[in-house]
Amino acid sequence: MGPARQIPIVRVGTSVTSVRLVPIVLGVLIGAAVLWLAPAAPALAQDAAQENDTCLACHTQPGMVLELPSTEVVSVTIDPKRFAGSAHGQALTCTTCHEANAEIPHPRVTAKTMREYQDARSRICATCHTDPVEAFAGSVHGRAGRMGFADTPNCTTCHNPHDAARVKTPAFRNNLPQLCGTCHADARIMQKYGLRPVYQSYINEFHGVTTTLYKLTKPMSPTPAAICNDCHGGHEIRAASDPASKVHPDNILGTCRTCHTDAGRLFTTAWTEHQTPSPQASPLVYYVQLFYRFLIPATVAFLGLLTVLDLGRWATDQVRRMGR
Amino acid sequence: MSRAAVVSRFTLAQRIEHFVLIISFNVLAFTGLPQKYFYTGWAERIIQLLGGIERVRFIHRTFAVILIAEALWHIGAVIAARRAGRDRGDMGLNFGDVRGVLGDIAYLLGLRGSKPAFDRFDYRQKIEYWAVIWGTAIMATTGLIMWFPETLARFVPGVLVPASRVAHGGEALLAMLAVIIWHFYNAHFRPDIFPMDPAMWSGQMELERLRHDHAAEYDRLQKAGQLPPD
Repeated sequence: MGPARQIPIVRVGTSVTSVRLVPIVLGVLIGAAVLWLAPAAPALAQDAAQENDTCLACHTQPGMVLELPSTEVVSVTIDPKRFAGSAHGQALTCTTCHEANAEIPHPRVTAKTMREYQDARSRICATCHTDPVEAFAGSVHGRAGRMGFADTPNCTTCHNPHDAARVKTPAFRNNLPQLCGTCHADARIMQKYGLRPVYQSYINEFHGVTTTLYKLTKPMSPTPAAICNDCHGGHEIRAASDPASKVHPDNILGTCRTCHTDAGRLFTTAWTEHQTPSPQASPLVYYVQLFYRFLIPATVAFLGLLTVLDLGRWATDQVRRMGR
Repeated sequence: MSRAAVVSRFTLAQRIEHFVLIISFNVLAFTGLPQKYFYTGWAERIIQLLGGIERVRFIHRTFAVILIAEALWHIGAVIAARRAGRDRGDMGLNFGDVRGVLGDIAYLLGLRGSKPAFDRFDYRQKIEYWAVIWGTAIMATTGLIMWFPETLARFVPGVLVPASRVAHGGEALLAMLAVIIWHFYNAHFRPDIFPMDPAMWSGQMELERLRHDHAAEYDRLQKAGQLPPD
């Protein structure tokens, strides 16, 4: 009975051979499934999967939010596919990080504001990611955060733990300027810290143009041009005025030479410091720009005028000739 | 007269030079424009069509080398022609060209009845020629600065690199607009020569046209006895 009922399912041809193959095919499939589900400790993996299923029974509902006393809301909906494909999804279960939430109903969240909530998340990250967390604590972002500036980034601002793109992947590298641009393109946020929004000028500069155009055809290979962290550093990032910064005037030539290995000693002014050229910033560039801003329309006007006059004379001659 | 009498205008070598210039100018424009206007949709499509920015830059630099080689060849050819006495300096700019421009404008406006007597090359052709010289010099210099910024910065300030980038883009746009407006009109779309001035193709110009468009040259050739009698 069994084989007879299975024929329609696995039928690939009409021959009897395919019927005989059924148990073998099934055996191989089951074997593969067992091997796939059991990397090292089959029992543990099954437990983990079951445990995650318990959480995801609720946390896959779209629009699930946690409302904080500050009325700020945190989305607590998880996309199981993205989580499974993330760096964490392959190694951790929900309760590895959300230990207290193993109890249902979950204990009350103590954070009163989004900032407090995010800081608590960062402490969870610190459990494993000790080095980057330490580097970040000494960075300009980390220090400003400790001073109480609520719009400075912390771990989850840049990294989504439930969709953790491996930072060494080309996709993460190629889109890093956009990630930094979330804040560094925003004049309102930057003004507060006495900074200029630098994102757009990076995009317009040689490195930015190359990065933008490079990922057009090669999104899965890392851009060869410098992106933000190549010069500024990542977690340990410093203010450009900090003598320890990679882009401090004393260190910048060395930073350029990371890629431009044989850069001459006058190389650094090739960099316009994310500034729009002006009489104060890179005046030479500004005046060259100005020169062409006048020369192009003036030339076009002069040549255009002569062309129109020439056509006009020809047309007049034609009309006269016809009149004769 | 079934076959019009003609005078020679360009040697075969000069016509080949012009052809190489057409090819390199167009390839450089086609691969350069999408780099200047990188933020547009059409730039993205051209770059995708050519197989990515690295290949676009490779093509651009290859044809830049061709154009630079041609420019050097041209300088050499001019020097050789001068030494051999074949070149009278017909392309040289002089005060006559200012009179030529003003006289022509007056003629075009109907303020005078006849065209000024232009020499072998009129002011339009001279402007074009010197525009190509100026443009190629700027493009080659700024292009090489951007190509080898590390070496350059051993001798001169690095700020020349971003300045070169601005100049390269500005000069490119200027050159393209000049070609589209000026060259296309004067060598292709002028009603009396449309669809094209055959001189750069055949190397020759009909005597009748020479007398009309380059009267001074016509007179000179006639006085020298180099023209068939009327």
